[in-house]
Amino acid sequence: MSASTLMERTAATPSGVDGLELPVMTTDTTATRDLFEAQAMPFIDQLYAAAMRMTRNPSDAQDLVQETFVKAFASFKQFEQGTNLKAWLYRILTNTFINTYRKKQREPYQGTIDDLEDWQLGGAESTTATSSRSAEAEAIDHLPDSAVKDALQSIPEDFRLAVYFADVEGFSYQEIAEIMKTPIGTVMSRLHRGRRLLRELLAGYALERGLGTGQSAPIKKTSGSTRK
Amino acid sequence: MTDCGCEKAKAELEEYLHNELRKEDAIDIREHLEHCPDCRSEHHVGRTLTEVMQRACKETAPEDLRDQVLLRLRAIQSAH
Repeated sequence: MSASTLMERTAATPSGVDGLELPVMTTDTTATRDLFEAQAMPFIDQLYAAAMRMTRNPSDAQDLVQETFVKAFASFKQFEQGTNLKAWLYRILTNTFINTYRKKQREPYQGTIDDLEDWQLGGAESTTATSSRSAEAEAIDHLPDSAVKDALQSIPEDFRLAVYFADVEGFSYQEIAEIMKTPIGTVMSRLHRGRRLLRELLAGYALERGLGTGQSAPIKKTSGSTRK
Repeated sequence: MTDCGCEKAKAELEEYLHNELRKEDAIDIREHLEHCPDCRSEHHVGRTLTEVMQRACKETAPEDLRDQVLLRLRAIQSAH
C-alpha cells in the first residue's frame, strides 16, 4: 500500500511503518478502541451513503462499510490525531472498494474513461439562454431523489466518485486526489465531465417527466410551460 | 470595477462552486456574477446540481450495521 504518497498533506510526523504495521494490542487497547469508536463511528452514516453509491446495493454497501471499519481500526495507530479522520476513512473505504468490489462489477469503459474524448461521452457545453437555464435549474430541483441517484449510478464510476466526493462530501480537490490516488488535474477533469453528464441526464429525466427544460431538446421555453 | 468577463467566469465557475479558487479569483467571479445574469443562471444550475445530489444521497446506516461493526471491533480486540 502506498500510504506514503497519500499522507503527504497530513503526516507531519510519520509514525510506524506505512500500511504494514500490524495492530499491536497492549494494555491500552480498550482506550484505543474507545477512542476509535468515539471518533470513527459518527461517520458511519456518511460512509454507508458513499458505499451505497459505490456498490449500488445495500448488502454490498454494508459489507464494505464493515471491512472499512475493521481495516481502519487495525491501522488506527498510524492515524495521526489532529489530522483529517474523515478523509482517512474515505481513503480506506475507496481502497477497499476498488480492491474487492470493483472487480466484481467492472464497467465497460473502466480504466480508460479518462482518455475518452468529450464528444465520445456525449453532453454539450451549455449554450442555453438565461431564461431556459433557470427553467433547467428549477426542473432539476424538482426531480425525485430516485432520479438523481439513477443518474449518478449511470455515469462512469471514476466520474461518479469524484463528483460524489466533491459535491456530496465537500472534500477539496486535493483530498479527492489523495483518496482516488490520482493527480489533481485528473480530479478536475473527472468532476467537470461527470457533472456535465449528470446535468445532461437530469435535464433529460426532467423532460421525460414533463418538467420541461430548455437543455436537452430545442424547445423554446414559454413562461408557464416550465413545470408539470 | 474591472469585470473579469464571462469567459474567465464560465471557465472557473465549477472551481468557484467548490471553493477551490484563491480568494482574489473568487472575489472576481462573485463580482462578475452580480452583474451578469447569464453567468449567474449558469452558476445557479451548477449549484442546483450540487444541492439535489446532497439531498438525494442522504442515507442512514442500518442499526444492524452499527451493531455488526461494534461486534467486530470487540472481537478483534479480544483476539489479542
